[in-house]
Amino acid sequence: MNQTVLVCDDAIFMRTMISDILSQAGFEVVGEAESGLQAVEKYRSLKPDLVTMDIVMPDMGGIEAVREICKNHPEAKILMCSAMGQQALVVEAIQAGAKDFVVKPFQPSRVLEAVQRVLA
Amino acid sequence: MDLSKYAALFLAESREHLNACNGSLLEWERAPTSLEPVDRLFRAIHTIKGMAATMGYAGVAQLAHAAENLLDAIRHNRVSADPAIFQLLFRVVDTLGGAVEAADGTEQAADADLIAELNAAALASQGTRTRAEANPESDDSQALPTSPPIPESKLRRATDAPRSRPVQVVISRGAAMRGARAALVLRRAEAFGAVSGVQPPLAQLERDEFDGRFFFRLQSERPEQEIEATLMAVGEVQSVQFEEPALGGDAGGPRRQIRVDLRRLDALMKQVGELVVAKNRLAALSTEAGDAALIELSGRISRLVSSMQAEVLASRMTPVGEVFERFPRLARDLSRELGKQIRFDMEGEEIELDRSILDEIGDPLLHLIRNAADHGIEPPDQRVAAGKSSEGRILLSAARERNTVALRVTDDGRGIDRARILAQAHREGVAADEVDTLTDDLLVRVLARPGFSTAGTISGVSGRGVGVDVAMTRVRALGGTLEVRTELGRGSTFLIRVPLTLAIVRALLAEAGGERYAVPLAYVAETVEFDRRAVTSVRGRETLVVRDQVIPTVHLQDLVSTRKASRSARQPTVILEVGQRRTALVVDALLGQQDIVVEPFDAPRGLPPFIGGATILADGKPALILDAAALL
Repeated sequence: MNQTVLVCDDAIFMRTMISDILSQAGFEVVGEAESGLQAVEKYRSLKPDLVTMDIVMPDMGGIEAVREICKNHPEAKILMCSAMGQQALVVEAIQAGAKDFVVKPFQPSRVLEAVQRVLA
Repeated sequence: MDLSKYAALFLAESREHLNACNGSLLEWERAPTSLEPVDRLFRAIHTIKGMAATMGYAGVAQLAHAAENLLDAIRHNRVSADPAIFQLLFRVVDTLGGAVEAADGTEQAADADLIAELNAAALASQGTRTRAEANPESDDSQALPTSPPIPESKLRRATDAPRSRPVQVVISRGAAMRGARAALVLRRAEAFGAVSGVQPPLAQLERDEFDGRFFFRLQSERPEQEIEATLMAVGEVQSVQFEEPALGGDAGGPRRQIRVDLRRLDALMKQVGELVVAKNRLAALSTEAGDAALIELSGRISRLVSSMQAEVLASRMTPVGEVFERFPRLARDLSRELGKQIRFDMEGEEIELDRSILDEIGDPLLHLIRNAADHGIEPPDQRVAAGKSSEGRILLSAARERNTVALRVTDDGRGIDRARILAQAHREGVAADEVDTLTDDLLVRVLARPGFSTAGTISGVSGRGVGVDVAMTRVRALGGTLEVRTELGRGSTFLIRVPLTLAIVRALLAEAGGERYAVPLAYVAETVEFDRRAVTSVRGRETLVVRDQVIPTVHLQDLVSTRKASRSARQPTVILEVGQRRTALVVDALLGQQDIVVEPFDAPRGLPPFIGGATILADGKPALILDAAALL
């Protein structure tokens, strides 16, 4: 059975791109969220194997969302999607419970490597 | 070195200790199973030994050493105290007394016969020990009937952390955000055990100011291969080695340490502080002058000063364990005095704090631990009646949280009765009548009122409130905060949060009413723009909605001047965060970040409480430092 993914990003462009990379690699994107709040809700209902999480989103940022999700599901496998210059935020996300990160602009191979590490 | 001038001191102090030895011996002889006299005796003899050795009085030192060996054997149940042993020890004290008086630096022969007797008595233990080692499980049970084990040594054994091993990790070249990668490695390592001594410190890693190589200590007994495999699996990790870091050219060699007078470090710190101010000023001037060579040089000096500052700060960092050390004994004494069963545990002893803060933190912790033992933990019968185990638990823990260290004193006792405190707060006019719920914030403010006590009877140990009052004052003086969480019947946690270091802090500069203010970055959550449209009113108070969070606002200009601030549609706003509490501080302008040196500050009368200190900025002009906690 394919492993399931929840893609969280406020930009449709990014969501589409990440979904494409992951579905081509055989993952099943079961949901998308465009805010932290949605990410938390959808995690609860979908229980995906993997979450990709943007850092800056409206209605609760990615870091708070990680914190919120990990509070009830410490086993959650969350991959942060960050941009250059967000290192401090990435560190904060890691401390909140994120399992790995990728840096934009995304190279499909790097994204998949990180996904593999998170799911290992 | 000329030691003669210390001779008088040696003599006076040794006499004192020997007097105490006689007292301890008498007490011990009356109650051969009591343990404290043995400990006191051991410590006194040990002190004399150390002093004598330093003075070059070999005879005294040898005798003291032999006596110490015997006492140690007794402490560890390898020898039991009988009348012959007491007699022997009395003779040792007498002989030491004579030797101390006679010692004058000329070679004094040790009393060889007495030493031989001591060795023989201690040797009896060797046999016992060998037997015990052959059959370790029977060790305690065999020894118990004659002389019960000493609780303190037990305690020490219980808190003995597993071996802390050095770990050196290199992040691959070309990895993105190596600092964040390092944070992942640390996070993963924490699953094995406590992580400490991260070098370079996390804040520096976060800014990517390292060459991919970092170091930390890990308390874990897991096999190296397992740790290595797990850390390598983090990804983009080039190597994991279990070695001490190379210092300078001394590659891989053991760390070498020297003792330095703390005053030297203080002086160094102060001078580096001034250097930082001068550096900032130089940077400002060279930018003004627009001379490229000057700007480059200033940049270089700036980097050098920054790394020097980091080194000086690092040299002052001391594990909190140094202050924690005395608390197990305190807790044990308290539990006896109060007739309660208390288990005392400690965590995070390896967390480091600036020496100057560490020195100040002992007292507040002492008060909080006393409070927990006296008012938190219930007597055994009450605990059992409430369905708890008869033994109460107090946990003292330290943890690094961002740029602060959080020290928690947690008990599983009765908790604080909010209704009772609120009633008393109403009676004393601390809380307005319409206040009908006591939040944790209000509770701690009420508890910290000088003289506020709800203890039905004030015991010799503490009266709740007095301790909190003292703790609060000390902690605030350090730029820290005190918080409380409590649940009736379940227990309380007092949380002290202090900055990692005093002296130099990174601050955000803001302007209001034509004056400049520095806000320590440790308490800045973020900056946003004050947007008229995002303002609502909650219970008559202006609040700002930031990403669905309602945050009360404070206009800095309203606080500092009589002129009411004009409410422009958009104004820069600093979101202050202390623990869970937030406030939006609206200012006229934000002027960027700067390292500021906190100057000692004698607050003039009538100074508002939210002014926490003063500093000199890069342009040589003064600015006031805001105390974030007081603005919330």
